[in-house]
Amino acid sequence: MFGFRPLPPGGRSRRRATRALFIRHGAEGTPEGRSLRLLREWLSPTQREQFAKRGYFEVIGSDSGKRYRIHAGASVNVCEMDERGRPLEGLCFMPIGALPIGDVMLAQKIALETCEREVRAVARRFTPNGFHFRQARPLG
Amino acid sequence: MAIQIVMNRTGDSRHSFNPDEQQELAKAEQRFYELTNAGFTAAVRTGPGQTLHIRSFDANAEETVFFPRLVGG
Repeated sequence: MFGFRPLPPGGRSRRRATRALFIRHGAEGTPEGRSLRLLREWLSPTQREQFAKRGYFEVIGSDSGKRYRIHAGASVNVCEMDERGRPLEGLCFMPIGALPIGDVMLAQKIALETCEREVRAVARRFTPNGFHFRQARPLG
Repeated sequence: MAIQIVMNRTGDSRHSFNPDEQQELAKAEQRFYELTNAGFTAAVRTGPGQTLHIRSFDANAEETVFFPRLVGG
């Protein structure tokens, strides 16, 4: 009636893959694209794979050995995980200066991996829920 | 060539220098201390995905990244 045609089998995933490819390569010239490229360069192969597949990557705190999950985002995007992989406590911290998303995430990774205690001293706590970590678009 | 990458709102500013050239090395060292004295954190890559927070200038570092002071959100 309205001219909508159902997508062929696999059409939805192809469309998503095409969109992800466009964002990854088409946006390389933008501040966000450049920051995401730098982030990918500094991630370990495991973290890079996690980020590409799940939209987050995990780091180990330098002082406590605790595991943290850094979701795509520039604030309210870091979560301490328990030993079963469940979110325990959210930590909100970021570098000053309105940096693009990839730079914020890289700063969070480096800070947790090298000076966790200082991070925990400045971070604001929040109770994590699914809404905070919703990924609106593919970035990895 | 070595590089210093300074995060900013445009993504980053990149400063390449030849560590074998005394003048360029001195300029890089000066930039390092200007940034860290202003509150930036400096880190180098020590392996794939491995980072090290450095507090003094490392003339052998191939790639150093600087990010501004962290604050709670």
